[in-house]
Amino acid sequence: MAVSALSRWAREAPVPVFVAIGDGMRERVERLFCDPGIERAATPRHAAILLIAGRMRLEDREDLRRLHDQMPHPRATLLWDAKVGEALGDAEIFSGGTLESDKDAGEAVRDHLERLWQDLASGERPSEPDLLHDEPPNPWEGIGPHGQGGKGMMGGTPYGRPMAMTSDDLRDGLALDTYTARFGPFLPMFPPGLLLEMTLQGDVIQAAKVLRPPLSQKAEENAPAALSRLARLLDLLGLPALGQRTRLAVAGDRSSSTLEKLGRAIRWSGAMLAIPPGLGAVEGQGDLSARLNDLLAVAGGSSPATRPELPESAHLSSLLPGLEWSEAMLVLNSFDDKTLSMLAMVMDEPDEERDGHDHDGDHMRHDHGGHHDHGGSHHEHGRHQGEGGQGGHGDYGSHQGHDPHGSHGGHT
Amino acid sequence: MMELIAVLLLLVFLSMGFAGAALADGMLPALIAGQARSSWRRPIAEAARLLTTQRIRTEAPDALLWFLAPTLYLALAIVGLAVIPFGPGLVTIPSEVGIVVWGSCEALTIVAVFMFGWSANAPLPLIGAYRYVAIALPAMLLSMFVLIGAALPAESLAFTEIVEAQRTVWNVVRQPAGLILFLMLGLAISLRGPFDYAGPEDLAGGTTADVSGPSLLAWKVARLAMLVSVSAVTATAFLGGYLGPLLPGFVWLALKTALVLIALVAAGNFFARMPPARMMGVIWTMLLPLSFLMLLAVGTELLLWG
Amino acid sequence: MEIVPWIIIIGVLSVLWIRGVHSVQRSATAPQQIPFLGGGTPDTHAWQRYHIRYYSMTLLFIAFEMEMMFMYPWAVVFVEEGGKAMMEMGMFLAILSIGIVYAWREGLFRWQ
Repeated sequence: MAVSALSRWAREAPVPVFVAIGDGMRERVERLFCDPGIERAATPRHAAILLIAGRMRLEDREDLRRLHDQMPHPRATLLWDAKVGEALGDAEIFSGGTLESDKDAGEAVRDHLERLWQDLASGERPSEPDLLHDEPPNPWEGIGPHGQGGKGMMGGTPYGRPMAMTSDDLRDGLALDTYTARFGPFLPMFPPGLLLEMTLQGDVIQAAKVLRPPLSQKAEENAPAALSRLARLLDLLGLPALGQRTRLAVAGDRSSSTLEKLGRAIRWSGAMLAIPPGLGAVEGQGDLSARLNDLLAVAGGSSPATRPELPESAHLSSLLPGLEWSEAMLVLNSFDDKTLSMLAMVMDEPDEERDGHDHDGDHMRHDHGGHHDHGGSHHEHGRHQGEGGQGGHGDYGSHQGHDPHGSHGGHT
Repeated sequence: MMELIAVLLLLVFLSMGFAGAALADGMLPALIAGQARSSWRRPIAEAARLLTTQRIRTEAPDALLWFLAPTLYLALAIVGLAVIPFGPGLVTIPSEVGIVVWGSCEALTIVAVFMFGWSANAPLPLIGAYRYVAIALPAMLLSMFVLIGAALPAESLAFTEIVEAQRTVWNVVRQPAGLILFLMLGLAISLRGPFDYAGPEDLAGGTTADVSGPSLLAWKVARLAMLVSVSAVTATAFLGGYLGPLLPGFVWLALKTALVLIALVAAGNFFARMPPARMMGVIWTMLLPLSFLMLLAVGTELLLWG
Repeated sequence: MEIVPWIIIIGVLSVLWIRGVHSVQRSATAPQQIPFLGGGTPDTHAWQRYHIRYYSMTLLFIAFEMEMMFMYPWAVVFVEEGGKAMMEMGMFLAILSIGIVYAWREGLFRWQ
């Protein structure tokens, strides 16, 4: 009996949805989550329903299947104007094409999600089975009791995967293990669709390569778009409640008094103080705090600032390396869609450049030291410079003359 | 006899505090966001949902530690609460060294959080775990310095004595900045807002990113229990604990704890989080010297007028 | 004091209960076990010789942790001993503070 009482309670819970946002759907999805009855799960582990909103690329399908399988049972999938063929099995399909307005479609999707959850929680709808084969990513191989054999201590694939191997670090040159993985395309703190192959040491990004660009959103830069971007930054700064308030303002009441109060709350939160000066500086675009300031100005009633065109050489593969994870996520979310799509273009690199040992000024991990021209906070000073050149990477420093961003912010 | 009553009071306090914490945690963010007030049934419904969800294990996790981490976290919260007196002589563990017991609960919390993030063998939880240690270690120093400042006038490390020593003047008057520093520690060990370096949004939930179902629920329960516990310790060390006119001591402690708890939940939603390296620098170079100064001020005050 | 183990046991049991009282449990399949990366896949296990950039800070931390141990008895006798205790601890803290200044100058807090 206890179980049926539990499931009766569970039906009342807000619907936990993990969403994969496709072409041009971000705005509508964000409006959907303004509803308190629907909760945006940070990972599929916390979700019961996978919502696939909008058109996806062919190559995204495998990742969607993986996300689907990562959800715990009971689980279900809803396709919202998503054309993914049979990739997701026989998932629920919702097509908003017949409805008159976006708003109606949003409400219909919400109802659909709630109904799905009711059916799942009560057990009327069976949980969806796995889409991928139940076999380990790598066959167990190698010598020894744990399959750890191979060369020396390393090699082999213990428990299905190889162990990490050492490499020199960008900042201090210590040779500790690197972690390479493909992050995205539907990581909640990434722009939807962006797939990066990154190498980390600790939580500092050593190398980043764009494998798939972000899916295009409606790239029009207007006040609502700027406010949504502000909301995403607020989430990352640990202010989800203020972020939600911003999103509610975007969806509904955008009167000046609401926005003014919001702007005041954001200023009082110390968001500007929290951001290290000079972080994520790009020529013509200012640094992260300048961009956040622009967004706050939009909340204050002024129209979005127009920034000059990006320099051709600016690219995520040179912007992200050297940053800590949390800083990198802030930087990644601070650009408008058009700028981001330029920063995240897929570059065809010759094979020898793949491992980051390129000597081309465009792709090199540039020295961030030049941006720290502020006097006050010593502990920020020169944090990305200096010892990074040790141990095999010594030649990066000598490229400062080619550094596309070096001229911005002034050298100390 | 007294101890038995204290144990009963502990259970009442914990369950009341836990319910209050769950409600405050659900309602305050909605209030700040300007959203419709959520129902009191919502936390229960969410708990029921997590209970009826499958628990997932990752590839080759450390299953034992993964299981033990929420347990340890919850146990630490309860032990921390047990050294708090609910009235004169009404304490579950009448320890002579209550502050030291609480301090070890703080320290072991770091171990619990690290274990939880580490054992999933997954990248995002791992980063969250290591990051949390960087911030929680110095934050713990802060709290111990201000607690020593609270122990000085009592000439004792027992919470019972610390409360009695506040009959003349509450410790918050002696060291107002100490209260604020201790609240920061409260945010850090209950993993919230500006000090939540273990499960932040930029890591998609950090230590909880690969946790589902009942395990996630256990972790959330432990987190809220720790919030109650640290609120009660704050109320005892700085706001006079059970002292107060008319009403019984237990009620006063509950009221003060509720006040601190709401302040903590609100602060967790109102203040922005710095990148971890910056925060670490701020704690060591600004907040820690501030806690020295508070200690110095309390000492001087005692020598001159004590 | 003897109540502490009981509290811990109750804690353990309640978590056990939380983990046990449900009927939907089944063991996770291989695709379910892949760590969450937003759909992407890792090359290796996540466990590694992790690059802890604050390792030098932990040394400073140990110095203060030891200091804390002296501080507990000191707090009890402070009022009794008066100015002498004040001076002693003041000197101790001053020396440690020089440690902080030195660490700051060396860039310990920069996550190199």
